[in-house]
Amino acid sequence: MSKINVLSRSRLRARAISGFLRHFIGHGGAQLGLVCLGFFLAVAAMPDTLVGPLETAITATGDFLAPPSRLHYLGTDEVGRDVLNLVVHGARISLTIALLATVISLVVGTTVGITAGYFGGLADVCLMRVTDFFFVVPSFVLALVITPVALEAMGAGGEILGFRPSLFVIIVVIGLTSWAFVARVIRSQTLSLKERTFIDRARVAGSSNTSIMLRHILPNLVPQVAANGALVVANAIYIETSLSFLGLGDPLQPSWGTLLSLAQRSGAASVGAWWYLGAPGVCVLTVSLAFVLIGNALDDTFNPRRRVIP
Amino acid sequence: MPDNAELLRLENLQVRFPMQSSAIDSILGRPKRVVRAVDGIDLNIARGEIVALVGESGSGKTTVGRIITKLVQPTGGRLLFDGTDMTMAHGVSGLRPYRHRVQMIFQDAYQALNPRHTVFDAVAEPLRSLGLVENHDQLTERVSESLSAAGLKPPEEFFARFPHELSGGQRQRVVVAGALGVRPELIVADEPVSMLDVSIRAQLLQALIDLREKYSLALLFITHDLPLAWLIADRIAVMYLGKVVEMGSADDITLKASHPYTLALRDATPKLHNEAGRGGVQALQGEVPSAARVPSGCRFHPRCPLAFERCRVEEPPAIAVGPQHTSACWLAK
Amino acid sequence: MNNRSQNTAPPLLKVDGLAVDYATSAISLRAINDVSFELRAGEAVALVGESGSGKTTTAMAIAGLLSPNARVVGGEVRYRGRPLPIDDDALMRPHRWSETSVIFQGAMNALNPVHRIVNQIAEPCILHGMSRGEALARATELLALVGIPADRCSAYPHQLSGGMRQRVMIAMALACRPSIVIGDEPTTALDVINQAQVLKLLVDLRTRFNLALILITHDLSVVAESCDRVMIMYSGRIVEDGTVAEIFAEPKHPYTRLLIDSIPTPGEGKRMLRPIPGDPPTLVKRPSGCAFHPRCPSAMEICTTEAPHLKQFGKGRVACHLHDSLPAADKVSANA
Repeated sequence: MSKINVLSRSRLRARAISGFLRHFIGHGGAQLGLVCLGFFLAVAAMPDTLVGPLETAITATGDFLAPPSRLHYLGTDEVGRDVLNLVVHGARISLTIALLATVISLVVGTTVGITAGYFGGLADVCLMRVTDFFFVVPSFVLALVITPVALEAMGAGGEILGFRPSLFVIIVVIGLTSWAFVARVIRSQTLSLKERTFIDRARVAGSSNTSIMLRHILPNLVPQVAANGALVVANAIYIETSLSFLGLGDPLQPSWGTLLSLAQRSGAASVGAWWYLGAPGVCVLTVSLAFVLIGNALDDTFNPRRRVIP
Repeated sequence: MPDNAELLRLENLQVRFPMQSSAIDSILGRPKRVVRAVDGIDLNIARGEIVALVGESGSGKTTVGRIITKLVQPTGGRLLFDGTDMTMAHGVSGLRPYRHRVQMIFQDAYQALNPRHTVFDAVAEPLRSLGLVENHDQLTERVSESLSAAGLKPPEEFFARFPHELSGGQRQRVVVAGALGVRPELIVADEPVSMLDVSIRAQLLQALIDLREKYSLALLFITHDLPLAWLIADRIAVMYLGKVVEMGSADDITLKASHPYTLALRDATPKLHNEAGRGGVQALQGEVPSAARVPSGCRFHPRCPLAFERCRVEEPPAIAVGPQHTSACWLAK
Repeated sequence: MNNRSQNTAPPLLKVDGLAVDYATSAISLRAINDVSFELRAGEAVALVGESGSGKTTTAMAIAGLLSPNARVVGGEVRYRGRPLPIDDDALMRPHRWSETSVIFQGAMNALNPVHRIVNQIAEPCILHGMSRGEALARATELLALVGIPADRCSAYPHQLSGGMRQRVMIAMALACRPSIVIGDEPTTALDVINQAQVLKLLVDLRTRFNLALILITHDLSVVAESCDRVMIMYSGRIVEDGTVAEIFAEPKHPYTRLLIDSIPTPGEGKRMLRPIPGDPPTLVKRPSGCAFHPRCPSAMEICTTEAPHLKQFGKGRVACHLHDSLPAADKVSANA
């Protein structure tokens, strides 16, 4: 009997998920966002197959700052590297940074938000003041201060969890500066969920606070977490680009921001090498836009008022 | 039917909390106003007895239910359950044995069920949290049993459903099944049928009465509907502004009421056959005062049609007007 | 009280064969079907039914306030003989408030929390052509009429109790001197004493201004003291229609009888519950034939296959096969 029960439960979940996906996919913005994102994820997944290994100044094949041609579809940079090759490899770095930073930001933000909202009182006051602090700290300043220190401490050549230190620092800095927004949203949602009767029922049922937070509040926050998560990714891509543009990136693992920075320093703008600036720029714009579209679509889909059945 | 063994006893139970005072008040040094949500309640429930707590909104009846289920901590008085003082008990583990014996049914079943949990999860939650089952088979068995007892048959059909896939009556039955699953000795039912359609109210009440007879379950039935209380309860306690003003058997309260507030409640209840000369009855005027401004003397005197000088200054005690029938009114005899 | 046989003037409101569908993206569900009734000036009619019975849909259709996913698929509503454009929001606007007005159920949601109540009541008056000063004077007068003291007129909705807010809703409904007021469960959220006060107020105002009142409620017991006539709805149809005295003394439809039996009256009879078996039908799953047959103690063969029509029976109307088989002599011919 319990097997039947498990079976029909999984079927019901599957039905609910397929219903959700149908709504979500039916959303025009989501379609555009998913197509863009799918394209860039595919590119990031297999850069070597698409354009060969990352070119360096030594393996560069082209002229200096050559405009797009049959040989180099997106032209070359100031040392003769193929821009298409650089942009494709940059996709992997940029997306990895953005997604990992988002994971940090969501985990920290959700934990702090739920704890502050659920317990209230002193815990709320303390946690929210910390949140306020991170809310107002500009990520650039924090990154500018931390990066050199971290590089000094860890040495430029080492690896942390498979990342070169400068990348790792960028991930951590973006994660640390963007969780405050998530924490605020989650806290306010928790405050209203906490007043719902099913929380009282769970307390009368003898459930512990941890169990109430994990089993009752967290599942009801999934829509907020998902929708805001997508927006956080978009923001993380921008921050990453800006930080790299300021020269905080890793020149050996060039992200889109690093490419923009290199292009700017090589005077691409003044000699009219639009392809060198344009290619990474358009990529950044497209991917962030894709995430924003997906985030808004998720928000619309989860919003129960849009799915009222009389 | 009730035997005489006392199960729950409330002695002068109070919930008072200071009101948030404005900055101007604190500068001027005005005293902080105290909200007296529950202002000294004495109540006892025997094993297997159904007691109804009747009152308007703002009378504090829901707070009493929440104190008994330990969702609100009392600020004074004593709460004795089966002879043990539970007034100060708190914490998840400290309350576990108590939760096993006292459960609650909520007014709005839609709100009381987590929209993301299936019926099975909802009914299984107290069994799991209180550690009453050893393995999944036993859990399934207990859940099926509670669902059938609450009238959801065959129970397996409901296991995988989500609250939004159920009707209002079925949802309330799931809440009842959840409370029943742990085999409690007392259930606090806070307006369990007021959100239900008229035609299914009686079904749910019948289910509650059957359970009482089967498991000798005691029930505190909180409602604002006097005829309903009469229909299901053995005894009725009428609350006004944080205090019990009249208490007695269901027939005493509805047919031989002595307190003017009980009479007003009775007269306000719409009657089916209005040929019985109800033209002269005046609806009670005004509204329940705020619990932060409890009137002096008898708290009902500003609205009482029979109030006289003594009512304004001196609070009447519970005066016995019959066997097991008390009324807190200077005119009671 | 009920003088339908003598009155020859056209009724104030005539609803004829009204049918409304709710459309979702995939399916279209019939909410009410073939609803027909008449309302005379000054008459108070109760529409009683459970959730999903279509009572609110009927009333909102009359007021032209159907939700955007609802469609009128049949029938018409005539006000003093003229058809009302109930499915056209813009055309309906001049009729709303001044001919038909609504007392909404959730006063807290229907009132704007950031405006003072007196201004909220003045608003419809201004929209219907009064000057601001006149409108404010009218609003103050209306609030006094519903028993709100003058010093509370400039309060905000959250400063008032539930009963007071419901009074504000009543004042608002009366603002443009309508001849029909629809009360959508006006006392459901209130407890007994407030309910009694609000009902009394409604009855007083009705006699004073000769209002026609349509009271929507799920609670049969509030009807007895405030209405002349009752229409019982079940699963989108009117199943019984009659005067209050008739219906309470001698209900014809089994559903009405069971509803009346389920109301407890202290001191009368034994303390016994009389449950109606089964669950009310939903819009999606409606039984064949008579929608009540799965719960009906006197269901017959024909009830499972054929839906009974609402027929004139005595002074009232009833839709039940039990009363089809009775001799024709009992039936009084319809004057409509």
